[in-house]
Amino acid sequence: MSTTTTSPRFTWLRQLGQNPMTIKELRGRMRGRRAFVVLTVYLLLVCGLVAVLYAGFALGSNNRSTQMAATGKSIFVSILTMQSFLAVFLSPAFTAASITSEKERQTYDLLRTTLLSPRALITGKLVSALSYIFLLILATVPLQSLAFLLGGVAFIELFVSQLLLFISALAFGLLGLFLSSLMRTTVAATVSSYALVLFLVVGIPLLALFTLPFISMMMFTSATSPPGWVAVVLVYVALAIGSLNLPATLIASDVFLTEYDAIFYYVDTIDRYRVVIFSPWWIYLLIYFTFSLLLYWATIRQVKRIPNV
Amino acid sequence: MATIIEINGLTKRYGKLTALNNLNLKVEEGAVVGFIGPNGAGKTTTMRILTTLLRPTSGEAYVAGYSVAKQPDQVRRVIGYMPDFFGVYEDMKVWEYLDFFAACYGVPTQQRVGMIDDLLSLVDLNHKKEDFVESLSRGMKQRLCLARTLAHDPQVLILDEPASGLDPRARIEMRELLRELKTLGKTIFFSSHILSEVADICSSIAILEAGKLIAHGDIEEMKKRLRSHRLIQLRVLGETELVQKMLVESGLVLQMMAGKEYDLPEGTVRFDFSGNDQELSQLLGQMMKADIPIVSFSEETGDLEDVFLHVTQGIVQ
Repeated sequence: MSTTTTSPRFTWLRQLGQNPMTIKELRGRMRGRRAFVVLTVYLLLVCGLVAVLYAGFALGSNNRSTQMAATGKSIFVSILTMQSFLAVFLSPAFTAASITSEKERQTYDLLRTTLLSPRALITGKLVSALSYIFLLILATVPLQSLAFLLGGVAFIELFVSQLLLFISALAFGLLGLFLSSLMRTTVAATVSSYALVLFLVVGIPLLALFTLPFISMMMFTSATSPPGWVAVVLVYVALAIGSLNLPATLIASDVFLTEYDAIFYYVDTIDRYRVVIFSPWWIYLLIYFTFSLLLYWATIRQVKRIPNV
Repeated sequence: MATIIEINGLTKRYGKLTALNNLNLKVEEGAVVGFIGPNGAGKTTTMRILTTLLRPTSGEAYVAGYSVAKQPDQVRRVIGYMPDFFGVYEDMKVWEYLDFFAACYGVPTQQRVGMIDDLLSLVDLNHKKEDFVESLSRGMKQRLCLARTLAHDPQVLILDEPASGLDPRARIEMRELLRELKTLGKTIFFSSHILSEVADICSSIAILEAGKLIAHGDIEEMKKRLRSHRLIQLRVLGETELVQKMLVESGLVLQMMAGKEYDLPEGTVRFDFSGNDQELSQLLGQMMKADIPIVSFSEETGDLEDVFLHVTQGIVQ
């Protein structure tokens, strides 16, 4: 009798490839022209943007090397901004409808009476939704790489930014999925997903903008200056708040790389304290990865639950 | 035969409303049980609990020996559930729909191809294999749903109103399908409003009203048990005066109908008889001894509607 053995390391990958939900969702998403039309239009838009930026460089040039680097950076940042919008706003939009649509078309009960485990159901939904987002993001990487030809961008910047985009898409996708498992309608799930995403992406910077100057004014302009450790605590608080927000993390991580040549951290002296200041990108990764794990667990629990009503 | 569905003291409350009230029911393996009752009687609630979709307030239910509350995965392995709505993915092809659900039940890829063809043959949808589900008629969609419930070859089929909303032809096709599944040895537990269909297919019925089981058992036995008297029809040649006189003298006839007054043909007498089989036989013997030219002597069986109307009180409508 012959037996075939598969390395346990790749079992999860095989299971993912055979997940009926992934296959069904991908088949549905890629069927017809819609998916390809969206991809083409998106790439044309990005190409147009790159062309405009490059034309600006080609037409006006006094100091060509500085101008080239600046153009490279502009291309990189512009595409990154578009990719961030995709990761932050499109992934919850895709996942928020994934379970509620099953409820609305009355197939959710059918799925729950099959042997498809809640984990397989959730993973299948997530993978199919995110794979299209990742396809859109990855499709623009070659255009973004033009920045390397022009200079002004290091490979590590591209790597860190893509990593941040991937974890953001995963976390926000899982947020949408969790709310989809909780709510009855797609409208409710989408609205609540966007409310939370907007709070994390726009609300936090706005909150920081209004509260931090007020706090520093209170502390540092009073008759007696606060002790040095307060300033250290404030730096860490600002770092933690910044690391919750994708645009702030992308900007701050880039500053760390270009200004301090620091990938993970740099050491500074505040008052008389030597302080290790961490680059926000990996704190962001840590926070959002933990957040994703928690959401994944909570969604499975929610789907597994036999309801009382 | 072994019990395959066992419901013990099942109660379900939604706030102050009691949807199921201490329901006790047993279904034998291979039986076809019609679960009937007015709207809101608790049929769907019972089925949702049995299919692990709803948690009961109290009580226990077992399918093939597995507890629906404690062993939902094992229960799902042995049941095929068809709800009272379509539940189909419109953007899928017919074969993809069955393939997807078979995969959800863990049927290996190699087995699925042949199995899909077999299932489509069973529900007579082979010619629609490559069509999109959205293009199917209501009856076809319902048959496809039934095929889906069979994807993992379950022992028990729980079907909630399988013929609801279908036109007469589709209803007949569905009934034939259920008959075929019965011959395949499946236990079928289904709810219906259409009593004539239940009577045609079922080996037994369970009648539910206001969350309470008010009658359960073999259809024929129930018809007999619920009737306090028997309706006999007799036809003789010529006059019926002598027959009527003998029936009155027997003391066991409660009511007698004869002649045009009751819209009965000449020579026909219909009467309610309160005696047992022996007394009925004696009465027939006396008539024969008296040389009454009897053409026919038969007992009218009544139908399921009589039973239903007799046991339900129309609390829920």
